[in-house]
Amino acid sequence: MNAYPSNLWSIPLLVVIPILVAVVVNLVYNRARLIKVISIASAICLALISLISSYGYHWFTGQPALRPETLTFTFDPGFPAWRLALEFYFGPLQQVMIFVMSLILIFVVAVATTGLTKRQGPYMGMIFLLFASAAIIIMVNDFYHLWIAVEIGSLVVAGVVVGSGTSVSHKAALKYTFFSALSGAGLAVALALILGLTGYSNISDAIMYIQSVNLGEMSVILYVAFGFFALSWIYAGGLAPIHPLKSEVYGASFPHGTAMLQTQSKLMLVAIGIVMLRVFGNLPFVREVMLAISVITMMLGVIMALIQTDFRWILAYLIVSHSGLVTVGISLGTTDGLTGGIFQAVNDVIYMTVLLLCCEALYYFGGKTSTRYSLGLAKKAPWLGMAIILGTMAASGIPPFNGFQSEIILIQAALKAGLPEVAAVILMVSVTTFIALFRAIYRLFLKPPETSEPVEEAKVPRSLYLGLWVFVAITLIIGVYPNIVVSFIKPVAEAVSIPWYL
Amino acid sequence: MIEVTIQLLGFIAAAALVVIGIAGMLFLDNLIKKIIAFTLLSDGVNLLLVALGYIEGGIVPILMPGMSASEFAARAVLVFPVGIVLTNIVIGVSTTAILVALAIMLYRRYGTLKASKVLKGERR
Repeated sequence: MNAYPSNLWSIPLLVVIPILVAVVVNLVYNRARLIKVISIASAICLALISLISSYGYHWFTGQPALRPETLTFTFDPGFPAWRLALEFYFGPLQQVMIFVMSLILIFVVAVATTGLTKRQGPYMGMIFLLFASAAIIIMVNDFYHLWIAVEIGSLVVAGVVVGSGTSVSHKAALKYTFFSALSGAGLAVALALILGLTGYSNISDAIMYIQSVNLGEMSVILYVAFGFFALSWIYAGGLAPIHPLKSEVYGASFPHGTAMLQTQSKLMLVAIGIVMLRVFGNLPFVREVMLAISVITMMLGVIMALIQTDFRWILAYLIVSHSGLVTVGISLGTTDGLTGGIFQAVNDVIYMTVLLLCCEALYYFGGKTSTRYSLGLAKKAPWLGMAIILGTMAASGIPPFNGFQSEIILIQAALKAGLPEVAAVILMVSVTTFIALFRAIYRLFLKPPETSEPVEEAKVPRSLYLGLWVFVAITLIIGVYPNIVVSFIKPVAEAVSIPWYL
Repeated sequence: MIEVTIQLLGFIAAAALVVIGIAGMLFLDNLIKKIIAFTLLSDGVNLLLVALGYIEGGIVPILMPGMSASEFAARAVLVFPVGIVLTNIVIGVSTTAILVALAIMLYRRYGTLKASKVLKGERR
């Protein structure tokens, strides 16, 4: 970290633009065409900013390093910097994560503005606020902004779910908001405890303090703070034991909304996970607890996916299960583990978007997503069938798609850490994902229809097909050239990693 | 013998509010009562933060004319707990508004506020 942070203008734009768009689309809530233009243009603008922005800090408040002996501020770059500041940091990891998120935002916005006829303005506003909250969490380097962004994120998730307008979505949102109240309060207490213990709200400063001072009996406070932090981590990603709540949220939303929700959730998991690793990673048993939560989530998610009879709910549980894959890598905390975990998060949001867009397309063929029906859609929509099979292959870790590359890194990381059982669970998740998805695809696409009742003819929007094939192409390109993404992730993984000690 | 200070009393009251809030959210069946329990929980967390930042004889963290740096450092209260409490109040109000709005929508649909009936499993 530099002693003297630079105030980059481009970094806050990634948060300010989506918030402004949310306000504007609410003001013009009944002008569908205008909302579409503003939303797509802003989403493209966000993608471009994340691509061209230089790396560095944006400094909101605080002060330069303080000399304890004289209580005077220093601007000397050689002085060990305790900045006491609220700040955003934008580096290679943040760049790749925000770029992927904005790419997904472009197509989610395009699909949503085409398909939705009512409440377009408020719904679009929620989607953009979801982006803003995730962008803050990805870039933040202080506990204060982290907590606020998690709280905003959880309220906005409820808003996106309610946007689908069914009583099921209202129930899911209510349950989720009740739990968010608990986890938000927990995160506030964790923040207060760390602040009380170290005196710093800046994450780097707090870590510097924890590493340079012998905490002795006070380390108990750090464990309590870890407990509350873990609660919000579990909540953000829908990890076990609250996986039913999160999958209900995914299942009750529109599929395009779920694409954005799962992107926010997985990128939040990575960002909060890295903060937890940096602050608490050296405490005994912390990584074991994180690993146990991750493994249980993977297994429960995939088992629940197997017993579902609706394509939407299969995807909902698989998203949760694959969140466990992401957190396994982060919990290991090694360079390979972190690389694999973060790479998996990026890959996962891309191939799950493919599958969710396919699910959205099913709505245009009569809206039946239950696997109890045999629709024989492969004849009616061969391109859709092709896309869903390719998405399934990517999600199941089959080469040459991106899922394979990240899962192989994760398996190698688990084996290197001397945890073959974790590697076996990762393999099991891959195989089970394939079974759960292919069972649904067979019923919906490949099996001839059981009734003579014709499947509704549909005109699937071009934006949906375009998004579908753009993301299929990305899964293939990353699968063949993984270094396109890994080169952004590796330096961060090396900087944050801690060797596994078992 | 533990000295009973304002800070300690603040911690005890905060713990009581948090426990009552969590118990209410978990065990009460009425949605409105659950929401009231949430506000108690939120108030408990606020009180905890205020108590954490409390300094006996503390002053507002503004360096006044004639005050030495060491006196300021010794007596000024931390700004962050106050900032967090203010933010938490805003977040609490927003969360309560969303919860009440959802409770109203579900009441219109089901005609009851009983969580056991309203939140029963249903997928379509």
